[in-house]
Amino acid sequence: MATSLPPVAVPGQRLGSVATYSAGPGTHVQQSNIYASIAGPVIVDPAQPKTQTKSTLRVSRVIPGANQIGAAPSKTSASTTKSRPRYNTLPAVDSIVLARVTRVQKRQAAVSILVVLDDASAANPDPSKLASDNDNVASILTSAANPENHSNTDELRFQALIRKEDVRAVEKDRVVMDEMFRVGDIVRGSVISLGDQSFYYITTARNDLGVVMARSDAGNMMFPISWKEMRDPVTGAGEQRKVARPF
Amino acid sequence: MMADRRRVNGPPGGTRPAVFASLSGSGTGAAERAQRQRQPSELRKIFLKTGLIPTASGSSYLEFEPSASLAAARANPKSLIPPSSALKLACTVHGPKPLPRSAAFSPNLVLTTHVKYAPFAARKRRGHIRDSTERDLGVHLETALRGAIIAERWPKSGLDITITILEAEDDRWWGDAPDSHDASWGMMNVLAGCITAASAAIADAHIDCLDLVAGGVAALVSDDEKQSSVAPKLMLDTDPAEHRSIVSACVVAYMPGRDEITELWLKGDSSKAALEGGDKRSGHEALVDGAVDAARGAHTVLAEAVRESLLKTVGQV
Repeated sequence: MATSLPPVAVPGQRLGSVATYSAGPGTHVQQSNIYASIAGPVIVDPAQPKTQTKSTLRVSRVIPGANQIGAAPSKTSASTTKSRPRYNTLPAVDSIVLARVTRVQKRQAAVSILVVLDDASAANPDPSKLASDNDNVASILTSAANPENHSNTDELRFQALIRKEDVRAVEKDRVVMDEMFRVGDIVRGSVISLGDQSFYYITTARNDLGVVMARSDAGNMMFPISWKEMRDPVTGAGEQRKVARPF
Repeated sequence: MMADRRRVNGPPGGTRPAVFASLSGSGTGAAERAQRQRQPSELRKIFLKTGLIPTASGSSYLEFEPSASLAAARANPKSLIPPSSALKLACTVHGPKPLPRSAAFSPNLVLTTHVKYAPFAARKRRGHIRDSTERDLGVHLETALRGAIIAERWPKSGLDITITILEAEDDRWWGDAPDSHDASWGMMNVLAGCITAASAAIADAHIDCLDLVAGGVAALVSDDEKQSSVAPKLMLDTDPAEHRSIVSACVVAYMPGRDEITELWLKGDSSKAALEGGDKRSGHEALVDGAVDAARGAHTVLAEAVRESLLKTVGQV
């Protein structure tokens, strides 16, 4: 059955029946048929062998190598981290984002979202995956600063808030925002709500969330030394931050 | 008319060269009325390419094939005035991007469309500020696209679609008096082109759609000297410059995969139509069906253009 699928689809193209597949991202269902809703390669995610669920049919937003179409999902996601930046991903609830702090206030910090990490790596708590994410932070940030990326000014980026009570899970009432974030820090957070008309809401109340990159007062890149402190390698001065687990 | 005080504007009137009676009456054939060389159901060829504007998240460029008389005039110019014009337009899609701070929360994608004629697009010079026809085209385009986009997949974000018309269709043959006909028929062809180009640009930007929506035009035309004697004939993809009189015209935005029309715009009197014997349809029905057929034709080009740009990106990686 999988052989009858087209390798690439354009919007409105019929891909299969809901009796055979379940509809994944990039598709929609009309009169018990699955149709593509974006242009891209058609990918079948095989069902878990033991369960009764059907294979999921999706149209990918990222363009892998032509020979990888239909390959195992883990393989494609590994290859896409190196390929071109993915298209216009919106922040959704539970998605992991990297954001730059733009303003720190007494009750909240305003950040602007640079990158939305894709669901595959975010949903997977595999430590090796997280490690690879962290390695890619530098490359992700340079790609966000790239003028070719369409969201390169704060005006065009999605704005978000980290409220005081969402900074950490313990001793929430003793949080002092100035000791958690500084303007310019790069923060990894998890979206908790689409929020109001202008801001998303982000939490850093997990060990793996918090500041991932920061510069000291002297302007040097700092390294983390504990969950709440980072140190400048040149001056040796320590500064307080809510640090993400660094591995 | 609204004056634009911030720029140094060109002359507000037309900039075409003066035509002298001796020239148009002479044997050079400079003022010969263009004739339709195509079959009634034959469409003009369409050039459509996506992804030409790197700073936009999606873009497309569309061109209609010049009519036979225009192609001949370009190859062997006898007059400074082109006998007809062919549609050329560029479409850019920006977004999804955050809504402005003043906007209210929206669980759906907020679609904004702008259609603008370049100042040099038509025989009569256009201003820099959008006039009522351009705003009208924008509204029609928005209706056509809103039915095709799956808006709930993009909460809290906006999508800007901007179309620049580089060369517009004529409303009538240029040699006719400017007010000898009632309506601006060229606008219908422009809208059909806008719909097809915008659909390609949206697919290029990877915005979820139900189907590629294509635009098509059909018209009832009478090419007779005596207009009232013969019932008008149905023609697809009409170039207004090629016909003596257009009685009625229809443009649709059509999704072939679902057999749905998202936008229908009909002008003129469609009550009288010379259909083939045994055809029981009313003129109105025949006109809409004709426009749908034209849109089906445009859809094949549209799907091929989207597929082509997709395969090109796959090849690059």
